[in-house]
Amino acid sequence: MPGWQAIYQQLKDKNLEIVAVAQDTNGIKDAGPWITAANPTFTALIDERHLVSKLYNMVNVPTGVWIDEQGKIVRPNEVAFVDDRFKNFSGLDSAPYLNALRDWIEKGDKSVYRMSEERLREKLAVNDPDVILAAAEFALGEHVYKSGHLREAIPHFKEAQRLNPKSWNYKRQAYALSDAKRDYGTTFVDEVEKAGGSKVYYPPPDLTPGAATKDKQPQE
Amino acid sequence: MKWGISIGVSTLFLLMACVSARGQETHATIIYDDHATEISSANVDRGQLWITTVDLKRATGFALKPQGICRDELCFPLPKFRKQEFVRQSSGKTWFSLMTFARLVHQPVAHDEALATWYFGLRSDQRQGLSSLEAPDFTLPDMNGKIHSLSDFRGKKVLLITWASW
Repeated sequence: MPGWQAIYQQLKDKNLEIVAVAQDTNGIKDAGPWITAANPTFTALIDERHLVSKLYNMVNVPTGVWIDEQGKIVRPNEVAFVDDRFKNFSGLDSAPYLNALRDWIEKGDKSVYRMSEERLREKLAVNDPDVILAAAEFALGEHVYKSGHLREAIPHFKEAQRLNPKSWNYKRQAYALSDAKRDYGTTFVDEVEKAGGSKVYYPPPDLTPGAATKDKQPQE
Repeated sequence: MKWGISIGVSTLFLLMACVSARGQETHATIIYDDHATEISSANVDRGQLWITTVDLKRATGFALKPQGICRDELCFPLPKFRKQEFVRQSSGKTWFSLMTFARLVHQPVAHDEALATWYFGLRSDQRQGLSSLEAPDFTLPDMNGKIHSLSDFRGKKVLLITWASW
């Protein structure tokens, strides 16, 4: 949150809005203190149902999407670090992402970081029925948890995690609502290790200039 | 011969009615479009969830019309030859099978048996947004309860970021 405020100060006069959405089942109770501390002047919203992750098929946080003046997606669903607070863990430098963001804000459609339609479609498409069902299981888990039945929610969270193993949100949010070791027989750190480390947890965005604007070459 | 068939058919109907009547009348919680509705008399029958068309309207906003299952402009025609899988008459009421409808519209369903709760996820028509590359709109509150929609920012560039406390 504090990092985004700094970026917002620099870019808000260039017709940019930041919309930061907290994916927190417990809503203000958990996300509120962070927002209060950062005191943002950009738009900070609370999303108890992880609706944005569901609509955009996001699997982790922080995840960034660039949206143009017409409401079209320009670059979706990639790790969006705007400062280097997590660099030790992620190994990701925030500078390339920020440079790319600034380039798009300056040049719009002509930016070399705008993603081609084919790539966008490929990145956003979800045809896997398991992934679609996982979202329903997770949402049922949340509903059951909120109606005061944590123990009954756990099997649904586990089912969501099984159906969509790529979603870190399903794991981390569920772990945060109970004792991960006791209820899921694992921890966040163990899961990251099992998956192949932080490079898998936070796949580095491809910010090679021009890489995203080209359509994929046909396979030989 | 004609009689034979019609007796056969009525027996079949009678049999089906008996089987349906065996379905369990139960309380159910239905979550549709992320909105929970308590149903006092649902009928659970071999994995199917039947509710009256009155409860259907209450829980989902959809109504049974001659052209299909409709809500405002949205209408899903029911397959002509499988209508009985969707609609049936019993104890003076019209019942509708929500699970069969979910399959028709490619809608994921998650179920908690012990809590008699069914969660109906996004139908395929609600998931089409992304292929148009238009940013799916959403409406959410800020810390002070003020409501914002993504579409409020049309005309600006938007950096949409999700984050979490956990």
